[in-house]
Amino acid sequence: MTATLSRSVPIARAPRRRRPRSRAAAWAAVAVIGFFGLAPIYWLVVTAFTPDERAFTFPPSLVPTEITFDHFARLAQNEQLFGYLVNSVVVSVVTAFLSVLVSAYMAYAFSKFRYRGRKSLMHLVLASQLFPQALLLVTLYAVFSASGLLGSYGALILSFTTFTLPLCVWMLKGIFDTVPSTLMEAAAIDGASRWRTLHQIALPLAAPGLVAAGLFAFVRAWNDFIFALTLTDPDRQTLPPGLVHTYLGEFQTAWPDLMAASFVVSLPVIAAFMFLQRYLVGGLTAGAVKG
Amino acid sequence: MNRRLTDGQFAWLLMVPGLALFLAIIAYPLVSALVTGFFEQSLVRPGRAFVGLANYADLLGGDFWPVLRNTLVFTLGATIAPFVIGYALALALNAGLPGWLRGVFLFPWVIPGVVVSFLWLWIFNANYGVLNGLLGTHVSWLGDPTTAMIAVIVTKTWASFPWMMVMLLAGLQTMPKELHEAASVDGAGAIRRFRSVTVPHMRAIAGIAFLLEFIWNFQHFDTIYVLTGGGPAGATKTFAVAVYDTAFKGFDLGHATALGGLWMLLLLVLMAFYLRKENA
Repeated sequence: MTATLSRSVPIARAPRRRRPRSRAAAWAAVAVIGFFGLAPIYWLVVTAFTPDERAFTFPPSLVPTEITFDHFARLAQNEQLFGYLVNSVVVSVVTAFLSVLVSAYMAYAFSKFRYRGRKSLMHLVLASQLFPQALLLVTLYAVFSASGLLGSYGALILSFTTFTLPLCVWMLKGIFDTVPSTLMEAAAIDGASRWRTLHQIALPLAAPGLVAAGLFAFVRAWNDFIFALTLTDPDRQTLPPGLVHTYLGEFQTAWPDLMAASFVVSLPVIAAFMFLQRYLVGGLTAGAVKG
Repeated sequence: MNRRLTDGQFAWLLMVPGLALFLAIIAYPLVSALVTGFFEQSLVRPGRAFVGLANYADLLGGDFWPVLRNTLVFTLGATIAPFVIGYALALALNAGLPGWLRGVFLFPWVIPGVVVSFLWLWIFNANYGVLNGLLGTHVSWLGDPTTAMIAVIVTKTWASFPWMMVMLLAGLQTMPKELHEAASVDGAGAIRRFRSVTVPHMRAIAGIAFLLEFIWNFQHFDTIYVLTGGGPAGATKTFAVAVYDTAFKGFDLGHATALGGLWMLLLLVLMAFYLRKENA
């Protein structure tokens, strides 16, 4: 429909001619979008290393004239922030393990068995990421309150695990789909039970996928704001709401300190994504990491 | 002992933990919220009274409409802008630029949402912000109803365009090169090739990416809440912020969940589209 070869046009000419021009246009687009995308990151880093008296001047100087590590030092000495950090680590790590466990079982069931209700359940899992969390929270608050979990790590871990299921299940299902069923049939003939086949054959083969799913769950828990803001006591709060309470409540926000904290909070997530890059596309098309 | 289970029973057994979580954390709260919409109920006092459609009538008589308008403005802005930027970037990166560029552009999307908000709060700061510094102005970007909405959209756009880029680049990379070569041999210029070759090929993935981003923005909370808290004067109050504030600041669960019911209704329409597309 779109293109039929026509002999009247010299074949070699057209492609050769368009290359340099289209590449120049491509670089121009990258430069413009690059400024929008990366200048704020640059500003975050610059501010984090700028002494207070220089940060609070107008107009700000766009290139750093003085560098200080004071903001990071102050961060390291802040016990309250350290508490938030511990909470973030505990909640995110436990969520990662629990998510992998729950979603691996579920994904295996979706991938390797055929039964009634399978299709509808798969849709339900996929759709569950689309329910509005602000609304769920209104009644989830009461559920956790009644069960005594309100304010605990448990409330956060159970919530986060649930919201990572769509992505993790989809990702792991894709990986189990590539494990040949003949391997499992062979195991069954050798007398292995279905549990053994799952744990000793399928899971080890899916190990890289399990790591990726775990990292995604970690990032999801690490980045969450609204649940951590609402369902926890102040001493169980994770870094995102913790930073809001620490810095934004004051009359004059200590911006360089906050940028330094932002820098530190972003590091684990950036590290995780560097590892996850190659899983990104497949996982993304199936769902989302960020709610 | 396991041998006595059928395959179907074994599969259901594997799904028990996941389904239990789904029921407890999503299904039950959702149903319970929709029921609460018909009651007058407070977060801080026990007991409730059935009021029928009174909460819905209250909302439709006033508060619902500005919130709907804000949500639509935010959602359209914060979906179209990243879509256009992400598409342009994906096309550029697909034109033979080095692959590491893709990774560089992911930064805004990867960093935590609150960090994004902190950063742009600082950029938009009226007294010392770098945006005012560059423009030589002292505008209170987040203090004026019009600029506040634009600021919130810009912030969310910044955080979302990399995701669009990744999705659309994935689509572009599955496009056979021969199609473009054949078209250019036929004398089609760059714009014509984009319209007649790229756009039809990308229709499916671009549709899903746009719709998903639209749905997420329709329920987006973090950026708006940290940047403006829904203000000034309610100018950026979207469904997520309004439901949250009504419940956790106004303690009015009845109106919060009724507003949530209306919100869900609109979302269901979007979700139906999404599931249909995802199946296709």
